[in-house]
Amino acid sequence: MSAFLDMGGYAAYVWPAYAVTLAVIALNIVWARRLLKRSRKDALQRLAIGGSDQ
Amino acid sequence: MSALSAARLMLARDLKLAFRKRSQLVQPLAFFAIVTTLFPLGVSPELTRLKPMAAGVVWAAALLSSLLALELLFRDDAQDGTLEQYALCGRSLTWLLAAKTAAHWLLTGLPLALMAPLAGLALGAPAAAVPGIVASVAVGTVALSLIGAIGAALTLGIRRSGALLSLLTLPLEIPVLIFGARATELAIDGTAYGAPLQLLAALAVLGLTLAPLAASAAVRINLE
Amino acid sequence: MAWTWFHKLASPPHVYRVAGRLTPWLAWPAALLIGAGLIGGLVLAPPDYQQGDGYRILYVHAPSAWMSLMVYTTMAVAAAIGLIWRMKVAHAVAASCAPIGASFTFAALVTGSLWGAPMWGTYWQWDPRLTSELILLFLYLGYMGLRSAFEEVQRADRVSAVLAIVGVVNVPIIHYSVIWWNSLHQAPSVMRLGEPTMPLPMLVPLLMMLLGFTLFFGALLLVRLRGEVLSRERAASWISAAVRP
Repeated sequence: MSAFLDMGGYAAYVWPAYAVTLAVIALNIVWARRLLKRSRKDALQRLAIGGSDQ
Repeated sequence: MSALSAARLMLARDLKLAFRKRSQLVQPLAFFAIVTTLFPLGVSPELTRLKPMAAGVVWAAALLSSLLALELLFRDDAQDGTLEQYALCGRSLTWLLAAKTAAHWLLTGLPLALMAPLAGLALGAPAAAVPGIVASVAVGTVALSLIGAIGAALTLGIRRSGALLSLLTLPLEIPVLIFGARATELAIDGTAYGAPLQLLAALAVLGLTLAPLAASAAVRINLE
Repeated sequence: MAWTWFHKLASPPHVYRVAGRLTPWLAWPAALLIGAGLIGGLVLAPPDYQQGDGYRILYVHAPSAWMSLMVYTTMAVAAAIGLIWRMKVAHAVAASCAPIGASFTFAALVTGSLWGAPMWGTYWQWDPRLTSELILLFLYLGYMGLRSAFEEVQRADRVSAVLAIVGVVNVPIIHYSVIWWNSLHQAPSVMRLGEPTMPLPMLVPLLMMLLGFTLFFGALLLVRLRGEVLSRERAASWISAAVRP
């Protein structure tokens, strides 16, 4: 296990690279869902205010 | 009136207007001189250290000066509604914008090409390099003006567009920088600079065929 | 008959509904492939005979770099379709692409720098691949900056579409000029991508990651697309049926 974590001496490079990529993946999921949720809320608000106005 | 003669009239008009505001005309050139002066002061006064970077300095300064003049390319015409008249007048907007871009090159590109050898000499280039520097900057600034016209057309409707305009335009101009700086570098080293100069000319021709189309599309969208 | 699918594709309520239904079909295979690719790349693949375990960064760097280019191309194609056929949905696709592409370009830059660091002895070399990625990141930032400078969505869509098309014409020119520039100065590149002689246990996880990232992009695009479609449809009555739980 510790040999695996050590990555043949490249631990300081391999693990940050994987961490950054997985963080980008996770952030993308969060951002996309937040965008959809906010658009839904805005759409509902527009409907509540004026039915079908601008 | 054909598209070409309309374009020629536009070119004459833009040049006449520009010569009425001489100070605006000189500003990009003064800017070019200042940027080149920063390097000896920032790096070292020794010509042996400046000479290897002379081509890069001249080109970075040329890119920035060309960019500085861009904001004015369509601004006045857009503000007083003239640009809208051009779009509606029935002549080809593409040709009219090509003429405006040609005016921009004559007013900034050509003077920069004539000034660049001075900057080169001040940074340690030999006198024999002068024709090569003039040729590469003259050809390269054609491409810079054309790419810049697209950027100026895209940011037409935006106030305080300076930073955005540079963010849009500079990455697109990187091939011009690479080939231009290489041609100038070879000229300073006293070797044949034909190959990068031809690539630079190819970029200018490609820009000439495509950039006015993109610029006129962007202007039309911004005027809608 | 031939054109009905095209009109359906352009109709926002249809897009909203289908995108919602399609998302899990892309998201779950993507998760499985990326998970399997991670295990394959980190555990099962043998170390490289030259770079030891350091080469394992390949399994995150190559898919990120692939995403950065593929997303930009998708964005430009969608923008062109939106501009030519005045298709709102296509503009919404282009708008959805930019942040995804920019974030993976950033990942490609960071992982590339980490990959090179032990070989170069510094975290940054003006390696042609990294330099191209850096310029691509600037192109994405310019696109997003231009888009956000307009209040009106329709205008932002069409102006930024012109930029995306100009950019995609420029990307190959930038790429080859950077390679040419680099060949003059001979900075060594340690990144060996897509080598034909790569042994199968090394290659399979890479292909899984590439496919997984692509499907992940598809899923992200669908989620974002639904949001963009909703915010572009100010007055449409279908929204109440679609949004109310």
